[in-house]
Amino acid sequence: MKIAVDVMGGDYGSGEVIGGVLRWLRESEGSVILVGPEQEIAAVLAEHSYDAARLEVVNATEVIAMGESPAIAIRRKKNASIVVATGMVKAGQADAVLSCGSTGAQMAAALFILGRMEGIERPPIVGAIPNARGTHSLLIDVGANVDCRPGQLVQFGALGSAYASAIQSIAKPRVGLLNNGAEETKGNAAAAEAFTLLKQQPKLNFIGNVEGRDLFNGDCEVIVCDGFTGNIVLKAMEGLVLFLAQQTMRELGRLPSIYQAVDYRQVGGAPLLGVKGVSIVCHGSSKSQAIYGGMKIAAQCVESRIVEQQQQSLAELI
Amino acid sequence: MQEFIELARKLLAEQLDLNPQDIAMETKLEDLDADSIDVVELIMALEDAYDVEFPEEGLENLLTFGALVTALYQHLEQVKNG
Repeated sequence: MKIAVDVMGGDYGSGEVIGGVLRWLRESEGSVILVGPEQEIAAVLAEHSYDAARLEVVNATEVIAMGESPAIAIRRKKNASIVVATGMVKAGQADAVLSCGSTGAQMAAALFILGRMEGIERPPIVGAIPNARGTHSLLIDVGANVDCRPGQLVQFGALGSAYASAIQSIAKPRVGLLNNGAEETKGNAAAAEAFTLLKQQPKLNFIGNVEGRDLFNGDCEVIVCDGFTGNIVLKAMEGLVLFLAQQTMRELGRLPSIYQAVDYRQVGGAPLLGVKGVSIVCHGSSKSQAIYGGMKIAAQCVESRIVEQQQQSLAELI
Repeated sequence: MQEFIELARKLLAEQLDLNPQDIAMETKLEDLDADSIDVVELIMALEDAYDVEFPEEGLENLLTFGALVTALYQHLEQVKNG
């Protein structure tokens, strides 16, 4: 198992990224390729001890800034760390890529370098939400596509269904559409059209609209929405968890273990679905703990062969 | 040039799930809900069709379908003419 890590683009600099990667390296048998400016990486590595036989550095000097047009930047900056790292997965030199840089650039790199699966226009990011049944519901998309056409939400449903079947061994995952009411007529024009399209998919187990409060009851395994909505939902949840953790700590002097499972600072990353390779998106604000969590998710995705599993399930759904 | 424009129109319409007649030369890409990924996908499809590589410089400033295909066609002509 070899994971290519784009060390650039994180809010806290390459030191935090490399710190999390080295912890994973110590606790696993895998190997890593650190992709970024080699002098900067060498300076960070000099402060740590690590198994040099399992760590490689590949120089990449360009960075895609948050404000750049991602698709155009991917073409223009061939030596950007996310382009080089994703290219290594495409070339079979790495099993997965992980980045906490620009999500748009990572999505564009995955789309144009790894390629998309049959029937999929845009790769979404899947977020795993713990629920009352002790499992996880999958929220798709949590931020890769801020503008989505209704047909893309149907594709997210198919991808989520395929992913849930592959990862959670569920025969016919229930798919819901995140909306502001349960009735069929609820929502804006895009949601209403998406509802109609989802209802027309005989192979999808579409159960209708799902309201925000139902995200945690476990009544459906896959909840689809555009990336704009999904990202706001995700970050509102993260903020709520931090707030409740502070209040609980103040009142009880300790935190129940559930907080660790939902703390984004520890969970780390989430895979892009629908592309022909494992690409793990981490928070821009990831510290080493989150990067470590993201590395574990990357390893799980490789071990459980999510790409092949998705392709197999998708072929039956689309 | 007309053949190039018609192919670009057809490819973009397929990508965006639109009727090709909805895409006029003066249509703003923004009004078609086409983002930079859609534009790059169109460019890559045209690159495959014409076996050429288009430059990215200035793409962000081409706001209409007509401006985009005209710029691409001009580059294609330059390549053809050496």
